[in-house]
Order: sequence, then structure tokens, then C-alpha cells
Amino acid sequence: MAEQDGTQAYRRIYTLNLGPQHPSTHGVLRILLDLDGEYIVKADPIIGYGHRGHEKMGENRQYKQFLPNASRLDYLSGMLFNHGFVLAVEKLVGIEVPERAKYIRVIASELNRISSHLLWFGTYVMDLGGFTPFLYAFDDREQILDILDSVSGSRLTYSYCRFGGVTRDIDSKFIDMTRAFLKRMETRWADYDDLVTKNIIFIHRTRDVGIIDAELARQYGVTGPNLRACGVAFDVRRIEPYEVYDRLDFEVPTGSKGDALDRYNVRFNEMQQSCRIIDQALDQLPGGDFLTKKVPQKLGPPKGEVYSAFESARGLSAFYLVSDGSPGPYRCHIRVPSFGNLNVLNEVLPGTLVADAISILGSIDVVIPEIDR
Amino acid sequence: MEKKVREPGAPVVQFALLDDILNLARANSLWPMTFGLACCAIEMMAAGASRFDLDRFGAGVFRPSPRQSDVMIVAGTIAKKMAPAIKMLWDQMPNPKWCIAMGNCAISGGPFEYEEQYAIVPGAHLLVPVDIIIPGCPPRPEALIQGLLALEDKITGGEGRNLLRRFKRVSEA
Amino acid sequence: MKAKELEAVMIEKFPDAPLRRDETGMTGALWSIVVPISIIRDVAKAFGSAGFFLESITALDFEDTFELVYHFNCYEPKSRLVVRMLCGHDQVPQSICDIFRGAGWLEREVHDFFGISFSGNTDMRPLLLPEDADYHPLRKTFGKVSAYHKREEIYG
Repeated sequence: MAEQDGTQAYRRIYTLNLGPQHPSTHGVLRILLDLDGEYIVKADPIIGYGHRGHEKMGENRQYKQFLPNASRLDYLSGMLFNHGFVLAVEKLVGIEVPERAKYIRVIASELNRISSHLLWFGTYVMDLGGFTPFLYAFDDREQILDILDSVSGSRLTYSYCRFGGVTRDIDSKFIDMTRAFLKRMETRWADYDDLVTKNIIFIHRTRDVGIIDAELARQYGVTGPNLRACGVAFDVRRIEPYEVYDRLDFEVPTGSKGDALDRYNVRFNEMQQSCRIIDQALDQLPGGDFLTKKVPQKLGPPKGEVYSAFESARGLSAFYLVSDGSPGPYRCHIRVPSFGNLNVLNEVLPGTLVADAISILGSIDVVIPEIDR
Repeated sequence: MEKKVREPGAPVVQFALLDDILNLARANSLWPMTFGLACCAIEMMAAGASRFDLDRFGAGVFRPSPRQSDVMIVAGTIAKKMAPAIKMLWDQMPNPKWCIAMGNCAISGGPFEYEEQYAIVPGAHLLVPVDIIIPGCPPRPEALIQGLLALEDKITGGEGRNLLRRFKRVSEA
Repeated sequence: MKAKELEAVMIEKFPDAPLRRDETGMTGALWSIVVPISIIRDVAKAFGSAGFFLESITALDFEDTFELVYHFNCYEPKSRLVVRMLCGHDQVPQSICDIFRGAGWLEREVHDFFGISFSGNTDMRPLLLPEDADYHPLRKTFGKVSAYHKREEIYG
């Protein structure tokens, strides 16, 4: 029995499992929490519950057989990862891509980025207890999925980008649907502002919660909106432009404090910047081929390696392919942003309350199968 | 008169009409457990959201706790590390319970199954008894709804026996 | 530019580590340097104090050797740098997890997949594999393997 001598009660550290089956862990994540009452003393994220062996599969597959795998790594940015893998192989083999295909890929990627952020937005506010924005966000997301479905055939995991271009050309129906979507979203930002951004409960649950400063972000390799919320304007589309991003005019939103509210604001502004990119890309869309005719059936890549980085919805991602001249890679390593973004929780969670831990976990936007690969 | 042998898993005491009424109630209020493992989880969320609305079938209340749910929708690839957790969650669910395997990965390993795959369990049927399979990678939310309606038919004992269903199938109309 | 200043520092401080610039852009890096196992911590300290972050640690399995590849980057354009380290199949390299705290998990992952232990990293539990796993899947002696080469067959 605990003994109380009147001055000091008996205290004990209590270990609690958060996950792997939990409505707010966004995949199968388990965090082993050591709690002192409601305060977290130590947090140990345990991952691997979604390990599917992508890297070993990559070594046993040809490049074109690995296309479906790339999308299923981070399924919320399926088009972005599909695009990134295709860019890596094109860089390795040396395939030229027609201009129209580049613009189409950029439009599809930015639509995917908006849909990923919308899903994050809906589930984050649902984790905090507000159910309505989830329904609004998913409704908007369905519009994007309709657009991408009409041209690629899939809603979630795409193999739309191929080596040398895209599978099918976009027609006037796609362009009309996209422009209608952009017009619709112009009114929606104000709705979301009223519903969420100005909501006093939301602000209290996210302001000064889970502060990641720039030095901590550098130590753990945090990238993406989490890093931009600390004030560092690092976006691969700006720093190492690929495809046609150097011809498009967009801002890179940053925050100042690095708390959850800043991360929310950065992602919100990023969605609006993506709408701007799509608008300009549709204006600048040239005619021409959508798939280069010079892609050989058997890819004969040279020996060597390629490291191709791109900006996915969660941060800096990259494909590292080592080729031995055969039709498949010798080593296929994928650098995923959620790895560092989750790793930083080892230092951010201790000292916070359990309820704030849910808010922090939601605000860093991790997708666990991407970490588990 | 031949002695009726009780099927394994069937309740000991059986009431004919009351069973039918209970099955009708169970079929129209299936509460799924939130068990998304990978990509199919997103389509399950989309099925519960505004456009595809699982709530009109009574199945919109996703319960986080296995003790409060009827049906476990295994949505996603089952990694070997996750397999004991699935078994534990299934055992915690109270009877009557059903399992839907959603997506190619839960049916047979999907795109990740190849010879000498070391990391996944190729199919949920190796761990828990599966009632309905929904193929697709990922299956559309409409496919999930079709699978759920098929489960309702299985519970009520056949097609067309769900009297509370307020729409007719194309073949019946 | 930080990467070019660091290049001068590397050539001066570690003259026995060959440095090669990448003109084609295929490796995504400005230059790469091959370091012996003994000086990896000094190299990492130099990168850390120059303001770089660790992007990824990975390993390659060849018949004659393992090769550890560290990718570093900073927040400026064209600043990715690669540090390569040849490590025998039974050697134990040093950990850099106190210089870059994010390296702890990255080294755990390399240990999981290849079996390379890092001295100085106290937490070498499996990260992605089950807790009782005793196999290292990405080794070319495990499971289905389509090719197993020596290092010079690829890198010449």
C-alpha cells in the first residue's frame, strides 16, 4: 500500500502504450509513454508495424515493375512519389521529357499535394475533437480525386507518370474541371478560416504546443512544413528546381515559432500557393507530345548511382538508385521525410500533457507506412 | 426424426423468429472498428465521409475500442510485426463478430507478395476467420459499401431478406 | 557558399580522403568524399559545425565489402554532399549519434537491414523488424537475390 506521511505522496512512473491501434496515430504507430500523472516523462516511438519490404522488393524488380510500389510508400502523396521515382529513373537512363508532359505532371502533383493537405487538415481537427471540418475537407478532396480519376483511372495510388511522360493526355474536360475546382476553392478558404483558424478552442489547443526550433530540426533532419514553420525557407521546389518549377511563380510560406499553430498555417498557405501554381501551369500549358517516343522497351541504364530529390507533401523525399547495368536496381533506397519528423518526438514530447501529445502528433503529419517502407 | 447437429460457433439456445429479428437489427447497425493499416484505410475513411456516407447503412459509427464493435475491417497490408496485435484485437471483440478483408493485401498479400517475401502475412484469413473479401488496390468506397451490403445479406440469411433496406437492387426493381 | 567552403576544409584537414566533384549532377551532390573508418566522427563534426543536416544514412552490400553512404545537406541551393565509408563485413564503425541526434534511428535501421553495429550507439534494438528478428533482410545472402557484385563492378 502506498504510504503517506503527509508531506510527500508516493509517486510512480506509469507506462502506457499509445497504439498501434489508435484512432489518432495515423497508421500503425506505437508510442511507449512513461507517464507521471498526465505528464509525459519519456516517449519512445516504436515503428515497424507497416514494414512491407519495399527496399528488398526494389532489388528484385525491374524499374518498371517497381512503379506501383513507389505510389504505395506515401499513399497520401501517391502522385508525388510516382513522379519522383519516374524522375529518378529518367535521370539515370537519360530520357528527355516533352514540355507538355512536364506541365501535366506538375499540375497532377500539385493537385495531389492539395488533397494530401486537405486530408491532414480534416483528420487533425477531428483528432482535436471537431468533426465538421473533416466532412468539408473530404468533400473538397473528392473533387480533386474526381479530376485525377478521370485522367489516370485511380483515386489514391497512381501510376500515371511513366518514364518519358504520362500515360494519357489531358483533355478539355480535365482543364475545365480543374479550373472549376480552383474557382470553388477560392470561396472555401474563407469558410475554413471561419470554422477553424479563428476558432478559440483550436487556437488554445495549438498555440505554443510542440515547439520545434530550427536547431532541433537541423539535428533530426526535419524537412517540409515542419521545418518551414520554424522559419527556415527550405523547399526543394525552390532550392533544387526540377521539372518546370523554375518557371512558375509561387511563395514559400514560413512561420516563426515552430508550434502546432504555425505548422497549421504553413500547410494552409501551401494549399493556396499550390492553387496558384496550378493556375499558372494551366495558362502556360504548351501543345505537343505527352509521352516521348524514344523510350526503349528494355531500359539499359549505365552503371552508377542516382539520387533524385523532390518535395512531397511531407518534406524532402528522395530516391537513391544504384544501378549495375541490369533492368533493375542493385540497391533502391528511399529517403522519407516522416522518418526525421517522427524521430524528433523523442525530444519534443517529454514534458507535455498526454492530450497535447495527440495535438503534436497530428500537427507533424506523419504517414507511418512511409517510415516503415 | 434426424437429430440436428449444432454448427460450431452457433449459439446453444436458438429462437427462430427472434433470431431473424435480432439478425435484422445486427445487420443494420454494424459498428466497424477503426483498423486501417495502410492505403485502404484512406478509402475506408472516404467511405465514412460525406460523399459515400456509410452512416446511411447504420455503419458510420467507427469505434476505436474492439470491445464496442461488431465488424473488423482489415484494411491494408499485415506486417509480421502487426500479426499478434490483430489476433489480440480479434479475440477481444465480443460475439457475434464478423471480419471483412478489404483490399488485395488483406486477401492474399496483394502487390507485396512474392516468393521469399519476409515481411508480410499474405492474407488476413491466416489469422482470423474472414467473412467477406473486397478486392481492389485500393477498392473504391463503393466497393466497400457493396461488401458491407453483402455482409448484411450474409447476416440476415440471404439476399432480399433485409426488410429494412430502403432501396431495391437493380435486378429486383 | 557553405558547401564550397567545406570542400576547402576537407581537402586541408583530411588529405588522405579522396574527394571527387560531380559534374553530371547524377548523384545529386556537389562532391563526394571517401573516408576511412577512423575519421568518420571528425568529418561528421566538421559537417555539424558548418550547419549541415543529415539527410540519410544507407548501406550497400558488395561481395568484398559493405559501403556506408551518408548524405548531408544544408539549406542552400546545390549543397548536397556525400560521405562514403568502406567497412568490412565484420567491422564495427563508430556512431555519430551524439553529433547528429537524428543519426540514432538511421543507424538502427542500417543495423536492422544489414547487421552493421555502431559502437557508441546505446540503442541498437530493431527499428523496423520484429523485436525477436535475428535476420538481416537487405544482405545479399538473405532471401531472393537477383545480383551480387564486387564494388568495382559498379563503381569502377
